Formats: sequence, structure tokens, C-alpha cells
Amino acid sequence: MTLMRSPWFWYVPSLLLCLVAANQQRLVSITALSPWAGGGFGMFSTAEMRGNRHLHAFALRPDIRRELAIPASLYRQVQQVLAFPSEAALRALAMKLAEIPTPDSGPVAAIEIQVWAVRFARETLQPSGVLLQALEVAIDSRENRAAEG
Amino acid sequence: MTHERTEPPRGSDDAPSIANLDVVALALRLTVLALMLRPIGDWMLRPTILGLAASVLIFPSLLLNPKLWGTLTALTGLRVAVEWQLADNHAYLLCYWCLAVTLALVSRDPRACLALNGRLLIGWAFAFATLWKLLSPDYLDGRFFRVTLLIDPRFAGFAQLAGGLAPEQFEDLSVFVRQHIDVPSLDLPQPPVEPQRFRWLAWMLTWWTVGIEGITAAAFLWPVDRGISRLRHILLLVFCATTYAVATVAGFGWLLLAMGVAQCDVRYHLFPSWYLLAFGLILLYRDLPWAEWLLRFFSVG
Repeated sequence: MTLMRSPWFWYVPSLLLCLVAANQQRLVSITALSPWAGGGFGMFSTAEMRGNRHLHAFALRPDIRRELAIPASLYRQVQQVLAFPSEAALRALAMKLAEIPTPDSGPVAAIEIQVWAVRFARETLQPSGVLLQALEVAIDSRENRAAEG
Repeated sequence: MTHERTEPPRGSDDAPSIANLDVVALALRLTVLALMLRPIGDWMLRPTILGLAASVLIFPSLLLNPKLWGTLTALTGLRVAVEWQLADNHAYLLCYWCLAVTLALVSRDPRACLALNGRLLIGWAFAFATLWKLLSPDYLDGRFFRVTLLIDPRFAGFAQLAGGLAPEQFEDLSVFVRQHIDVPSLDLPQPPVEPQRFRWLAWMLTWWTVGIEGITAAAFLWPVDRGISRLRHILLLVFCATTYAVATVAGFGWLLLAMGVAQCDVRYHLFPSWYLLAFGLILLYRDLPWAEWLLRFFSVG
């Protein structure tokens, strides 16, 4: 057997793995990214997974706060928000939710989105909700008109 | 950094047998097979990736074609890039592996390049998986497995069988942990009692998993053929044979086996057969509801 020097490019795949995983660790520590997501190999390490998160969305009009039923067509986008509820992702989802018709009259003033995680008590496994992220996004009335049109 | 220049397996001029198969070709075949048995991607990427994998079956000469693997790298990378928040960990690993195969096929020593990448990718993936578990308080105190055994349908049969839960006990606990509670209330239902055996099962799974992952990471990252590194194939095979019996993430298991087999040089010439057996075993785990069968057998008995 002969000892050979390995070319540098042989290490690119494992270097990529380490960089992405280290960045995922960073994102989880400074944002609400789920440890299961983002390529950091955090799956099966915590009950803090996308499936144990949920969101509530409200359409806000003067004196009216109505919870919205989220249409199935937004399923993928909602799943992305649950895994990584960044401000940009919440804003993008709010814009889509503003287009959902409600029985209330008048333009939607804002959309409020709350992302919740379920935590389990150590002794009893009693589940309880923890608010991870909440954002109220003002909806431009011109956008409302465009949506209605 | 150095690597050992690899020699062809003993008796490579003889009639083909599993032990004599070139491990590069074998690793690539297992990767292609995994792509076909567990198609990946959305409606747009899936037919393309599946088509490329199927083309290797029809035109075997494509197996060692770097352009094919470069295309697979791009497609698996695109799959991750488009929905990076939703992509599973093995989607990332598959992309790195396809890149490693492409690099191996354009390098002067494909066998050594693929072996090095298989070893480092497994080692680092297991190291990060172990780190995450050690950093998670709800993993270390056993809560993760207590909850997962109750809410993940893939674990339901195993949880009842090994945890000694009667169907109605399992149902009570499962309904309890699935309650939707945002705001704490004083009017909460009384928590059902978890049997001691169920708690022991969760505790055992917790420490077995972090133990086997940690030691496997060390074995794959250790300098080759020194100390614990010599046990790396056995550890990976034990991990796959035990983990995927319960956690049916077949695609991840098959990918690990393809990476493992790529490291079987002449000193490990018996291991390719074991890797193939493990590949078949994971297929059986995926397709046969063995825990439910045993559960039914014991409940009838």
C-alpha cells in the first residue's frame, strides 16, 4: 500500500456538510428554526419538531378580530413557516392570508400570525403551548383592492 | 492529508461474486437502487431523478458516468435549496453523497476518493446527530422518546409491543399528549399513568441511540485502521439493523449502507455481503409490519 496525498477537492462534500450543520446550529440558537430542519442532523433529538408546532392567523379590521381557516392550498407555505418562522416568511404568508374572504365587510387592516410550539411536562407529559413567534402585518388597502379584483 | 492508495479486491479477475464486486460500482448501484425504491423530490424533480436512476438499469455503462452523477447532484441540491426548511437531513446527505460520487468519478483514484467521502460523511453526520441529542434537555431526560412513541404512527406497534401498553392504555396516553392547549388552564384532564416498562423502554432507546451514534461517529472519524476505526463497519451495520427496525426511514438507512460499502477494501472483503443483507433487511422492515404482527400474535396467544 502506498501513502498518497489526497487532493483538496475530495474534502468538499464533508466540508459542505460541516458548514451547513454549523450554520443550522447557529440559526436554531438565534431564531426559531426547528432543530429537525436545516440539515444539521437534529432529527430525532427533540420533540420540538414541525409536527408539534401550529399557527393561528387572524384578520384584523376595526373592532373585529377573526380567526382564519387556513386553506389547503397554503399547506407547503404553512409548513415552511412552522419549521422556520422568520419575519420574512410570516410576512409572505400574511399577504396570502389577506386574500382569504371573510364574512366581515371592509378592507383587512392587518393580519396577525402566531406560531406556537407544544412543550411536554417532564413528569406527566402534560402538553402546553409556547408562543414562538407573533407578527402583525399591516395590509395596504391598495393590495386589498387588488386582491378583491 | 493523505490516503492509502487502494488495491483491487483479492481475486478480482475471478468470476464475479459479491466479495469480488468492485465496491465503487456496488456503492453506486445501491445508491441508484435507493433512489428507485424511495423516490424523492416533488412532482417536478421526482420523475427526472427517477428517470436518471432507471436509465442506469437500462444502460449499465451510465453507472460510472460523472455527467449523470453531476446531474443527480444538481437535482438533489435543487431539491434541498428550494425547500431547505422542509428537506429531511438525508436529503442533504444524499446531495453531498452525489457530489462525492461525481468527484470520485473524475479523480485519479475513484475508490479512495469515495471511501474517504463515505467515511467522513458518515462520521460527521453521526457526530452532529450525537451533538444535537446531547444538547437537547428533552432528549436527555427521555421525554423525546416518551412523546414520539405515542404520537408518531410509525412507532405505534413497537411502543405497544415493547412498552407493554394495552391498546386502550396506548390510546389514552396518545390522546393525552396530542391535546391542543395554547393557554394554560386549571381545568386540565388528569394525566394517564405511564407504565414503568414504557418509561424503561424510552430510557433505553434514549441511551442506546445516543450511545451507538456517538461511538459510530468516533469510529468513522478516527484515523483509518487504528483503534476503534477497525470496528466501524460492524458498528454501522448494528446501527442500521437495530435503528431501522423501529424508525422506518429506509432512504436514510440505504444511503448510509451505500456509503459504508464504498469503504470495503481488501481487508474488509466479507463486509459487502453483510451490507447487501442489511439493505434487504431495511427493505423488509419498511414493507412488513413486523411489530403489528407480533403484537397480534401475542394478544391472540
